[in-house]
Amino acid sequence: MSRGDTELVAEAVGELLRGRCTQETVAAAERTGWAPELWAGLAEGGFPWISVPEERGGVGGTVAEACAVLEQVGRYAAPLPVAETGLLAGWMSASAGLDVPAGPVTTAPTARSVDAPATVTVQRTSSGWAASGRAARVPWAREASRVVLLADSPDGLQVISLDPATAHIEPGVNLAGEPRDTVHLDDVAVDAVAEAPAGVDHDALLLRGALSRAALIAGAAGRVLDITVTYTNERRQFGRPVARFQAVAAHLVKLAEQTEAVRMAARVAAANGGTASGPWFLDVAAAKTVASEAAGLVAAAAHQATGAMGMTREYELGQLTRRLWSWREEYGGELLWSTRLGAALADAGADALWPAIARGAVA
Amino acid sequence: MIFAPTELTPAEERLRRDVREFLAAELPPDFRPGLGLGGRHDPEFSRKLAAHGWVGMAIPTEYGGGGATPVERFVVVEELLAAGAPILAHWVAERQTAPTLLAFGTQEQREWFLPRIAAGECWFSLGMSEPDAGSDLASVRTAATKVDGGWLVNGTKIWTSAAHLNHFFVVLCRTSPAEDRHHGLSQLIVDLHAPGLKVSPIHYLDGGHHFNEVVFDDVFVPDDRVLGEVGAGWHQVTSELAYERSGPDRYLSVFGLLKAFVTEFGESFDDAQRAAVGRASAKLWTIRQLSLAVARSLERGAAPAVEAALVKDIGTLYEQEVVEVLRHVAGQEIDPGGARMFERLLAEAVQTAPAFTLRGGTTEVLRSIAAKGLTGARR
Ligand SMILES: Cc1cc2nc3c(=O)[nH]c(=O)nc-3n(C[C@H](O)[C@H](O)[C@H](O)COP(=O)(O)OP(=O)(O)OC[C@H]3O[C@@H](n4cnc5c(N)ncnc54)[C@H](O)[C@@H]3O)c2cc1C
Repeated sequence: MSRGDTELVAEAVGELLRGRCTQETVAAAERTGWAPELWAGLAEGGFPWISVPEERGGVGGTVAEACAVLEQVGRYAAPLPVAETGLLAGWMSASAGLDVPAGPVTTAPTARSVDAPATVTVQRTSSGWAASGRAARVPWAREASRVVLLADSPDGLQVISLDPATAHIEPGVNLAGEPRDTVHLDDVAVDAVAEAPAGVDHDALLLRGALSRAALIAGAAGRVLDITVTYTNERRQFGRPVARFQAVAAHLVKLAEQTEAVRMAARVAAANGGTASGPWFLDVAAAKTVASEAAGLVAAAAHQATGAMGMTREYELGQLTRRLWSWREEYGGELLWSTRLGAALADAGADALWPAIARGAVA
Repeated sequence: MIFAPTELTPAEERLRRDVREFLAAELPPDFRPGLGLGGRHDPEFSRKLAAHGWVGMAIPTEYGGGGATPVERFVVVEELLAAGAPILAHWVAERQTAPTLLAFGTQEQREWFLPRIAAGECWFSLGMSEPDAGSDLASVRTAATKVDGGWLVNGTKIWTSAAHLNHFFVVLCRTSPAEDRHHGLSQLIVDLHAPGLKVSPIHYLDGGHHFNEVVFDDVFVPDDRVLGEVGAGWHQVTSELAYERSGPDRYLSVFGLLKAFVTEFGESFDDAQRAAVGRASAKLWTIRQLSLAVARSLERGAAPAVEAALVKDIGTLYEQEVVEVLRHVAGQEIDPGGARMFERLLAEAVQTAPAFTLRGGTTEVLRSIAAKGLTGARR
């Protein structure tokens, strides 16, 4: 797929969200936990299933296109498990040969590295499979048609797909009021189990999840920049727009720099996307490090520049900054990713350091 | 600069011990400390504190206060804030309104308000900001028109913290449409339950209700509620902002978070977490000494306006840094409904922290005032 396709996808989904994902839509979803009409609109366009092969129930397309959609989802704060449905759970299911069902699908890490035991185990029973354990902070588990998880079994790592109605779901949220539920599995029958193929493991899920959050952060940061520039040009104090004060202008410049940086990082990582190992690890680790750090800087600069107005529930800035503060930690914050990146670079040795950095986007 | 290492006297340390004992007895073991926005509004707690003489300590005894020094008040206040005690009810009245009344109020106002403030029974909000007057406070448009026996007030105040809970607020308003915008302003003490006054909530980022919009529709304020002189409002309000500046509330907002981090994770800290706590504590130790030095200098009659501004700037930035650093080394998703106190406090702190460098005057405006002071170009 060429860059042109990525832009077309972004434009199409952006247009849809601009019309349908208003501040009120987001606020309402925060109260009820779900935005069914918005989901229906996105689903109709097939957007959540981009990058999932057609033969498994997806719509095809690249990781870069999926991330272009996520940027728009972030931009409009769309309260939906779009990343989970395609790029994460969809990818795991399809890779393992399981069909991707209709409706929203979700997932969350069950271990932070391939070396750690999973918090969910699955075992053969006389009639099939049964799963036990718990998965924490699963986005919209209460609304998903399927929860897809990596589970340990005596035969090795499995991809399991279960109906959340069979599990006990303990509701939770992130700072933006987006559902982050705990899924408790108490010897629950699972009808879809497949061995995790090569390339599908905890590290790979964490990597893809981190990429998805970097793309979401990039989108939200872009909108925060726009809102803040507009506000500070309209807000007058001492007889002039506050944007004319040097101190405020400095916040705007920082916002623009951080936004462009995170956008670049997320887009390069997405463009190089696909494989779980090798250079792609470096790209995503770098992108999430940059994105998580930028999220905090962007939120701080925007709030400082917009004064008390920005601190209110009614004003749309908060819908975005509360997401930035949540997404920066999801699938690992900058501490985790910079540590992993540094470890990998150190392992590769000093002579490999510059070549690791001086790589371009493959597209 | 007045900054000098400051020792506390044995009497001051005894006072601290008494406050600690009181807090240990009053606050339950699972107490959730207040962060940033002043802690809970708890009339019962304010009254108990007042019964020990710890509200309005610096109010002279003739007005029912403790007649204590700024440092004695500092010691009590820092203990309360470090514990995150629920002091919101009397907080503004005792920190800000009482000194203003002492400086500018009539004898009758002092005699009526100060004993009530010291008893923890008369609570104030601040009515300064308006929709079009934030940093540019002198552009307030709320107008008071002279009528028989008093003033009729019309206009809108905004971001009025705790107006839905308190009794009065001090309102900066225009009493004459003067050409010089700094004259023609006055301060009125307005009953928050006066006819014609409408208080509506403005919800905070995290959904909480801290501040309000207050609309005046022909609200009558009697002459004896004019605070200080008609037309001197600007001078009064700018000297009032100096009191607001450098106290322990400017660097202890998130101490409860730091403490909860150590309580709940300290035993399994890694080195990065140890370093974060070490750094946060080292800075706090230093900033507290700076603030204490300001308090001591006030005792000697100094007017350390620049120093107070520097302490507020360092202090509020420090508070934001602590939140950032702790969430960084905690390295976990923030769960507002989490099982641990630290998680719940962190969720609150992340959403509250941006306000630290806005309320009471933004960093940017504060710095320009401090810079003018530093370079000697005082107004
Ligand atoms: C939690 C909270 C509680 C509050 N409680 C109260 C209360 O109880 N009573 C009350 O009266 N007010 C209250 N306020 C309001 C507070 O005093 C104002 O937020 C503050 O004065 C800034 O005004 P503003 O928000 O309108 O920002 P603006 O003045 O609109 O500022 C926007 C941006 O422009 C910058 N700016 C403005 N002028 C300049 C300049 N000359 N040079 C450089 N930069 C400039 C500011 O620093 C800021 O970055 C509260 C605010 C908060 C956040």
